[in-house]
Amino acid sequence: MLLQRMAMGDRAALETLYRAYHGGLCRFLSRLTRRADLIEEIVNDCFWIAWRKAGSFHGDSRVSTWIMGIAYRCGLKALRQRGDEPVDDYALREGRGPSHDPDADRELRDWLAEGLKHLSADQRIVVELVYGVGNSLDEVAAIMQAPVGTVKARLFHARVKLRNVLPTLAGDPPTQRENRS
Amino acid sequence: MTIQTSSDKDCARAWKSMPWVLQATAPPEERDWLMHHLAQCEACSGEFAQQSRLRSALSLPTDVPVDADRGLKRLLERLAAPEPEAAPIRPWSSANRLTRALAAAVLLQAIGIGALGVWLWSDQAPHYRTLSQPALLEPVGALRVVPAAGMKLADWNKLLHDLGLRVIDGPNDAGAYAVVPAGPASSSVSALRRLRADRDIRLAEPVDNTP
Repeated sequence: MLLQRMAMGDRAALETLYRAYHGGLCRFLSRLTRRADLIEEIVNDCFWIAWRKAGSFHGDSRVSTWIMGIAYRCGLKALRQRGDEPVDDYALREGRGPSHDPDADRELRDWLAEGLKHLSADQRIVVELVYGVGNSLDEVAAIMQAPVGTVKARLFHARVKLRNVLPTLAGDPPTQRENRS
Repeated sequence: MTIQTSSDKDCARAWKSMPWVLQATAPPEERDWLMHHLAQCEACSGEFAQQSRLRSALSLPTDVPVDADRGLKRLLERLAAPEPEAAPIRPWSSANRLTRALAAAVLLQAIGIGALGVWLWSDQAPHYRTLSQPALLEPVGALRVVPAAGMKLADWNKLLHDLGLRVIDGPNDAGAYAVVPAGPASSSVSALRRLRADRDIRLAEPVDNTP
């Protein structure tokens, strides 16, 4: 297991783990900030801690949950230290306007960005972890160190907001049902 | 009280199920039930399509370019670098000096309070005697002497000096003084005789401490 090897000082194991998680972590952290230099710094802080704490991992959760939790806390700390507000990053993208790029991915990203800018940072993280990473509610609660009920509420409100602000596929007006539980 | 229709309940259940069906972590029977419901409910079907698109969008690689090789190189350099040593505590920094001064002042104050307490504790007996307190016991050989009201102080002092006596108590309510021989050379018996012979002494008698 890579973490066990890291606990014994195996840097090759660290490199393997770093490359395996780099893409996912960058995408996850891009929900907090759009600054590439800051994301790199947070990822490195995360693996710095993982390297030092690898011996304390006892398999109580999935490795990905453990690493995501570290990255989330490092991300919040980095933003706090710089006085950055994570929500501002998505607000900045609004100025670019709708993309006319025919590339489908670009269109999808713009569509997503349009929705995510209406969410709080916590709501974006929950949406990313559930829909993007595929975590369960329990895992999201472990990563964010929050009660499951809080995670549920964040997911619910994020979904209601997204339903109301995202342009529907067929161009229909958004529905306004908000009383589902 | 709101009465929910069966359809509303189904839509609420569908709303809850969607993320987990999209994740493929929902039980098969729940997934089958949702597919059946979506086929009958246009609103939930549209919602599910939007959720699917959301999942697809969130699954795209990030559009923020972060170079993994460069990041890894920096991390390895950071690991190779010696850990910064904790800044040594300067013993005489200004803050430290103030702390030490305050601690010394508190210590000094504590010592002073302690010494005062010991002194007060060991010095309980007052240096005066009230009238309600019993009279001190006079030593053996003491004499009780009542001088005449008109006797001058100088004569009284001269008499005491000549007889080698000193006052240890008095005068009491009756105007009596307690006197004792000032030294081993003086004799209370001869002093008593001479006191009784003095015309300015109204009373002179040995003190009897026996009750």
